Amino acid sequence: MFWRLLRQSFLQGARRKILSGLTVALAATLGMALATLSVGVGDKMAQEMRAYGANIRVVPKGESLSLAVGGLDLNPLKGRETLAEADLPLIKDIFWHNNIIGLSPFLDVQVSLGDKGKARLIGTWFQHDMPMPDGDVFAAGVRTVAAHWQVEGAWPGENAEDQVLLGKSLARRLGLGIGASLSLDAHPVRVVGLLETGGDEDSAIIGPLALAQAIANVPGRVRAIEVSALTVPETELSLRARHNSDALTTAEYDVWYCTAYVSTIAHQIEEAVVNASARPIWQVAAGEGAVIGKMQVLMAVVTLAAFLSAAMGVSALMTATVVERAREIGLMKALGASLAEINAQFLSEAAAIGAAGGLLGCGFGALLSQGISAMVFGQSVPVPWIAVPLVTVAAIVVALAGAAYPARTIARLAPVEVLYGRK
Amino acid sequence: MNAAVSAIQALPEPEHPVIALKGLSRSFGAVEALREVSFSIRPGEFVAIMGPSGSGKTTLLNILSCLDRPTGGEYLLDGIATAGMDEAEQARIRREKIGLVFQQFHLIPYLTALENLMLAQHYHSIADAGAARAALERVGLGHRADHRPSQLSGGEQQRVCIARALINEPALILADEPTGNLDEENERVIMELFRALHREGRTIVLVTHNPAFGSVAERTIRLAHGRLEGRA
Repeated sequence: MFWRLLRQSFLQGARRKILSGLTVALAATLGMALATLSVGVGDKMAQEMRAYGANIRVVPKGESLSLAVGGLDLNPLKGRETLAEADLPLIKDIFWHNNIIGLSPFLDVQVSLGDKGKARLIGTWFQHDMPMPDGDVFAAGVRTVAAHWQVEGAWPGENAEDQVLLGKSLARRLGLGIGASLSLDAHPVRVVGLLETGGDEDSAIIGPLALAQAIANVPGRVRAIEVSALTVPETELSLRARHNSDALTTAEYDVWYCTAYVSTIAHQIEEAVVNASARPIWQVAAGEGAVIGKMQVLMAVVTLAAFLSAAMGVSALMTATVVERAREIGLMKALGASLAEINAQFLSEAAAIGAAGGLLGCGFGALLSQGISAMVFGQSVPVPWIAVPLVTVAAIVVALAGAAYPARTIARLAPVEVLYGRK
Repeated sequence: MNAAVSAIQALPEPEHPVIALKGLSRSFGAVEALREVSFSIRPGEFVAIMGPSGSGKTTLLNILSCLDRPTGGEYLLDGIATAGMDEAEQARIRREKIGLVFQQFHLIPYLTALENLMLAQHYHSIADAGAARAALERVGLGHRADHRPSQLSGGEQQRVCIARALINEPALILADEPTGNLDEENERVIMELFRALHREGRTIVLVTHNPAFGSVAERTIRLAHGRLEGRA
């Protein structure tokens, strides 16, 4: 009889129930879409943020402290430790190798510009096809690691040792422009582009790695490697690992090692490259974590607000239903129905509306998240299917919460008032 | 003396009344709707409660059907004291002891005649379609079991309402102006139905303005200004 009542009640008041269901579905759509984006946004954002620079810097052990003052390195290159250029492919061979999306070596050296004084030459790869141990080729170089570098003119050719970029500040100081010729420690070069990064590079000359190696007389050596890696936002575990990974328990270490935290990838690079000290660039890593964290909080707040307004919508619609069906409720009471039996019917209706709205919302939400992701990131985002039961349960809870106030109205309803229309 | 005492003791124990009111009062603030009302109704009696508007008939009916509580006095229903009962206990008494017949029928519009009866069974114990169909047959509506209230005439709806009041075999049938919304023909049918129920030994109390019912009923209780008129 209970199910018959429920079914008949749905058939009878279909319009209002459809409206309630759609209200819940709307909130569930938003919840599902934001849940999907919230999970996927970390990867997408990390990818997007890689355009703003590397997030791991690899230097020789003992060289992690830079003695550069005002753009001039006070340490002479000779006698300092360096890394082997030949070890670079090892970085692309670690456990999280798929997350390494760019790397570039750097070797800086003070050069004499003849009568124009001294300057800093930063040798690097511009766009270099790095052969991998497995025979593949990986596109390395600053053009992937530092996509934010603004070059006016042209990028130097990878194999052209006489082509350089001139930092814009230095170009202004020297009064030189594109096409100018320079002599770097007696090596003639030609300026093919002007570089603006907003950083130290603006007051330096950026040239091919081989040129810097030749001037510094350190063939096959580099002073630093910058790595762009896709990482997940930092957590309490990764922060502890950052301070001391030896202090982690075995289980914690396994979780940390198998998660693409920036500290994990840095740790694995240190394991792979001899004499290397890999340090996350914390400003970048922490900034990413903070931005993604704030976005997720924002999404959670929006979802909460959506569910809250859905609860209010359901409450209004169900209150209207209770008022409309006051005689029926009064009759049920007069026939001896307990409050629990009457509430069970109305709450079951609410739960059914919540479940239907929740499932509908999950479907729409999954589609909406794909649309948003395509619009914002230009590609799809994986749907976390675990969100389907969670969002559905949330929708049911919201519908039941919406039914709480009407349930109070039911409890207060006096049969004599609604059946006889008098006290 | 001893013989007289023995004779009294030898009398059969009188069956307790279905309704026993002792000094029953009901006030709404300063307004006294019922004042010191006392009467009793025996099992199988057919009693009409009559009186002009504002005499307290409806207030009395609400208390008798356990939809309201008296502010003074005592109401025993089938030997059970009802004063001081909470809502849940009142609901239990209603489903177990009382069958209600309404002037406006109050059938659930989206349920069939049969389902309306089964709903009362459901709240009482367990829905039994066979028993519900038999009750509809009893009021001559077996062929209308699967019709919704909107598909039934006023008289038919009232007969469904009466069948619903009977379905759980209550100790008392309380009817509020059962013919108030019916034409003469249907009024006659309903009155005949009540007569038949009385002949079956049912205890019936009905509130009515209709003098015809006064003549059908075994006894009439008259109310005026919240008090009983004459002897109950």
